[in-house]
Amino acid sequence: MVTILRTLNGKALLVAFAVTALLLALIFYGSRDLQNFDAALITYLFGTIFALFGVTYRYTVWIQRPPTWMYFKRGFQLFFNGRILYHFGFFLKKSVVNIGLQKFVYPRGKYRWLAHFLIAFGCMTAFAITLPLTFGWIHFTLAPGGIDIYEAHFFGFTVFNFKLGSLIAFMTFHALNWSSYMVIFGSLYFLRKRLTQPGLIATQNFESDLLPLILLIIISVTGLGLTYSYQFMKGFAFDFLAVLHAISVIIFLIWIPFGKFFHIIQRPAQIGAHIYREEGIKQGMAVCPHTGNQFDTQMHVNDLKEVTKELGFNFDKPDGTSHLDLSPEGKRSLLAKAHLEARLKGGNLFG
Amino acid sequence: MAKLPVEVEKIIEQFGPSLNYPPKEGFPGRDEPDEVVKTHCCFCGMQCGIKLLVKNDKVVGFDPWMEFPFNEGRLCPKGVQRYLQNNHPDRLMDPIKSIPGKGFVTVSWEDAMSETVSEIKRIQNTYGNDAFAMLSGVSLTNEKSYLVGKFARVALKTKNLDYNGRLCMVSAGAGNKKAFGLDRGSNNYSDLEKAEVIIVAGANVSETFPTLTHWIWKARDRGAKLIVIDPRVIPLARTADLHLDVRPGTDSALYGAMLNYLVQHDMLDHDFIDNHTSGFEQTIESVKDYSLEWAEEVTGIDKEKIKLAAEWWGNANTSFLLHARGIEHHSKGVDNVLGCINLVLATGRIGKPYCGYATITGQGNGQGGREHGHKCDQLPGNRDIENPEHRKYIADVWGIKEEEMPGKGLSAYEIIEAIHRGEIKGLISICFNPLVSLPNSNYVREALEKLEYYVCIDFFLNETARHANIVLPGSLQEEEEGTTTSAEGRVIKINKAVNPPGNARTDTSIILELAERLGVKDKFTYENSEAIFNELRVASKGGTADYYGITYKRIVDEMGVFWPCPTEGHPGTPRLWEDRKFKTPDGKAHFNAVPYKLPGEITDEEYPVILTTGRVVSQYLSGTQTRRIGKLVNQYPEPLLEIHPDMASKFGIKQRELVKVSTRRGEAIFPANIVDTIRTDTVFIPYHWPGKKSANQLTPGTLDPISKIPEFKVSACKLEPLGEIAPASEMVKAYQST
Amino acid sequence: MSIENMYNPNLEFFVDMQRCIGCKACEMACAECETNGHESMIHVNYVDRATTIQTTVQVCMHCEDPVCANVCPADAISKDEFGIVHTANTERCIGCSNCVQACPFGVPKKVEEYDLMMKCTMCYDRTSIGKKPMCATVCPSGALFFGTREEIAEMRPNSTPVNTFIFGEEIVNTKVNIMMPKGSNELRIY
Repeated sequence: MVTILRTLNGKALLVAFAVTALLLALIFYGSRDLQNFDAALITYLFGTIFALFGVTYRYTVWIQRPPTWMYFKRGFQLFFNGRILYHFGFFLKKSVVNIGLQKFVYPRGKYRWLAHFLIAFGCMTAFAITLPLTFGWIHFTLAPGGIDIYEAHFFGFTVFNFKLGSLIAFMTFHALNWSSYMVIFGSLYFLRKRLTQPGLIATQNFESDLLPLILLIIISVTGLGLTYSYQFMKGFAFDFLAVLHAISVIIFLIWIPFGKFFHIIQRPAQIGAHIYREEGIKQGMAVCPHTGNQFDTQMHVNDLKEVTKELGFNFDKPDGTSHLDLSPEGKRSLLAKAHLEARLKGGNLFG
Repeated sequence: MAKLPVEVEKIIEQFGPSLNYPPKEGFPGRDEPDEVVKTHCCFCGMQCGIKLLVKNDKVVGFDPWMEFPFNEGRLCPKGVQRYLQNNHPDRLMDPIKSIPGKGFVTVSWEDAMSETVSEIKRIQNTYGNDAFAMLSGVSLTNEKSYLVGKFARVALKTKNLDYNGRLCMVSAGAGNKKAFGLDRGSNNYSDLEKAEVIIVAGANVSETFPTLTHWIWKARDRGAKLIVIDPRVIPLARTADLHLDVRPGTDSALYGAMLNYLVQHDMLDHDFIDNHTSGFEQTIESVKDYSLEWAEEVTGIDKEKIKLAAEWWGNANTSFLLHARGIEHHSKGVDNVLGCINLVLATGRIGKPYCGYATITGQGNGQGGREHGHKCDQLPGNRDIENPEHRKYIADVWGIKEEEMPGKGLSAYEIIEAIHRGEIKGLISICFNPLVSLPNSNYVREALEKLEYYVCIDFFLNETARHANIVLPGSLQEEEEGTTTSAEGRVIKINKAVNPPGNARTDTSIILELAERLGVKDKFTYENSEAIFNELRVASKGGTADYYGITYKRIVDEMGVFWPCPTEGHPGTPRLWEDRKFKTPDGKAHFNAVPYKLPGEITDEEYPVILTTGRVVSQYLSGTQTRRIGKLVNQYPEPLLEIHPDMASKFGIKQRELVKVSTRRGEAIFPANIVDTIRTDTVFIPYHWPGKKSANQLTPGTLDPISKIPEFKVSACKLEPLGEIAPASEMVKAYQST
Repeated sequence: MSIENMYNPNLEFFVDMQRCIGCKACEMACAECETNGHESMIHVNYVDRATTIQTTVQVCMHCEDPVCANVCPADAISKDEFGIVHTANTERCIGCSNCVQACPFGVPKKVEEYDLMMKCTMCYDRTSIGKKPMCATVCPSGALFFGTREEIAEMRPNSTPVNTFIFGEEIVNTKVNIMMPKGSNELRIY
């Protein structure tokens, strides 16, 4: 226990506590001192709080790593370098294209993209609905003086109302069902791929590749089951499904910081890398001394020299330059030249 | 008039070349193929073993065939990508007919066949049987090659049948026949393994026969010395122990001087020369003045290097000499080959383990295809069409009268010349793209346009086929069973993997139906490919290329059988001449005097630069297949003019600047690639591309007097830089150049 | 999960770029693996075409302490118990190219359209079921060889496999070997 405590990251703990405390405050405030809080969702709430704590902790540990911190630091420097509006626009655009639509997946196969998009969109809408519900930030009431008008409240404020039995009502109450279907279809596509393609079979492992898909499917199926159980089957197996649903969701939440789903949290860093490259290009490109061609931003080359040294790698050459000044092609060529020289010195290229 | 029906761009839009890439996630079904078919690569003479993965009657991928003894799974980039020719969007699936102003339109097989046959009959009735010629190719199996030879003589009754091997190994074939009385590489390649000295002359092994590299490197691992003779530092030459950078067109001077050196220093095998050869005295007489100094002057090779090469060769206990098109594509291609053979005979290192000599046959079935009768002067079993006994034997096998057998016809390039002269009016071609592969392509185009009727059998609409009146959609190699004979002389089995798609048909069935419609059905009834092979066995029996003892079953069981194999109990002959019984009339190996002659065209003030041509690793011959495979095209997207920095600075040429190259036959523009790896007096252009990007707009139609091979390897040219840097290669789309 | 792993630790990778003829059969074959999305993970390039025809071929050397994994800001690269350094985990990789530029052998490749780094995994999908990597299977020149130490010693008695590389101040040890003159212990690049 002591060793575990010793390996814990103090900074990250602090940040995680602070962020968790902030969430608790928001829950109190947003649910109007818990008066809008749905006690049935208490287990989900604890799961979520734990997940947030874990995610923040892991994220903070993560960005402290030298290469990550370099990006994080540079990202902020570049973001606030006087062209905040431009960068904000860039960030928004990239968020829609990369995070919202995951366009970078598309070139790897259109079905792959569609499946991924279905999962991502389903998960994101599900989070957008369930988290505020769990925190008591959203609740629905019958409008005073009627029996068919519903009002939706957010943070205690009435946001909109709709008629029971209307299309909006149907869409709103079934929103989670739609996301379930999306997640199920997407997950089944990937599951099939992972179970049939030899290349994937060779490299995957159960916990990090198959379990997440299975978990998503269980959550979605049991979620749908709850709906259909009370709508069409007079509550058949409702309790069982509810427990199974709750357990799978909680496992999912608690697991976010440690498993595959952490990539959802990490993904925005991609936009940082894009800004880093954009700004780097403006500041000037590095030219490979071997090929004579531009190959990377000079800022990146310089930062990497620093980061590698921090990590204990020193690629300085006797002449004061660095092996990292070379492009990948240049590095390969110089290795081959050194090899040729050694071979010739050895007297024979063959044998 | 066999002109293009519409603008060429419209034809390209419809029929390609377009580039085929596999889908990013692989072809569906690749992981669970219906069938894994062991067969061979459709490209060069190495005929590497390969497994094709088949799903739903389509080839969806490949797998290495580790057990096949020559290549043990090894492949070149063309082999890896060869499966993409199947399942290709450009594939012809229906007979098409050229309609002026409209382009190519689909017609029924019945219409295509009946029109073809009535045109054949019309032309032959009007101008005589020989006015209808046939051109064939040696990507065809032995069965199809044999069938084409029989079809031309028995069904078309024309003497004018020739094949694209005319651009390939005929000089070697003629040389080998003169010296040994038989045309086959004398050894299989495993004899390279313990050779002490290996000479590779005019063979860009690492780009044109990449999988042969393994056997040469294996020898070098045991300490073999490698001598490469080539005007360029080809990949094989970079690490060679000795690179003789010969001036194009002067090879025979080098061999003459080396032979003279061997004689003067008595590095000869007298016992072998005295007992097993003839013609030695006349031969050494012809080279007695060829000193090292003289050779240096003529060939441009440092005389010390020539001396070293002669000494290594002279002192070796075991050796292997390989050559290919680099010395054969000359107006004295046969001389060059004989010069090499003289070096081998003088040292007596043949017919013994690890003592070898061979031409490296270029085309897939270049070896087998040149043995069974689709050469203008040849009948099956490598028989002579002018020899009465040979004629009689084959006439009996075919069930015709000897008088009915046509005589010797014109060779490939001569057929083009005869079309020009108006002597040949009609043409049927299969597996040949002469508009890209023959020299002087402008002249070839004019000839095609003069034809009254041209019918082409092919699976893609290649550049030549665009001139056809009717194109009959034939089959790919993987769509029909058969055999080929690799460059080693190993007869191997090509297995059918898929059916021809759509309404395309197998080449065999097309030829058989044409024969039937020409009224000779009784001579062309075969149940399957094996039946044709069995007739071929009989037809070859007693000939020099004797296949009689080879059966389909044996080929499969033994992973190939080396001919000659006269009886079913015969083990085959991987190494020739162990018995010292040569196939010449006197039973001896013949030295042949090779006095040095100038190439057909020499440089002068107007055309001061030597131009030579060749290949790149990612393309195969005229590119009908490989210019349609995306990744192969990307690997080397357009022909570049390789030029030495000294010459570049002399003409003020910059890297990638466009340069106009002109010869007496035409001009073409190529981006310059300035490299130290070529002679200072020579430029090089690879030839796989069509139209304005074709190197063969520049090459001469000078033929070797014996082999009739054109002199692709030597032209005199001039260079004019255009002051403009070439656009990026990908923009140019040289693969579909017009 | 995973099927029975047949990875044979006695089989090793041996590279000798002086045997390379630049044909790119390896690149074509590498790309055939559908897990690579038809991208090649192996590199063949001219060393300096203006002066020489020399080409070099480079597979991932699978470093003992992989620089690529160390510099990855997203923890996307990992090494397994067999010493195979795996390609970027697709969900984590943010396409920053740190690994591309930091690898001393110039191996990782950023595929721009995927915004993803991809690299050689020594054909893990093949080696894990007892097959040889695709590149070493098709290589016609023996520049790439996959087999046992005994086999290579017999085939190339005058060469020694070396897996220590010196880049200036840095010494890098790898799983993959490069064939050197007999008796060599290391290859010094600078």
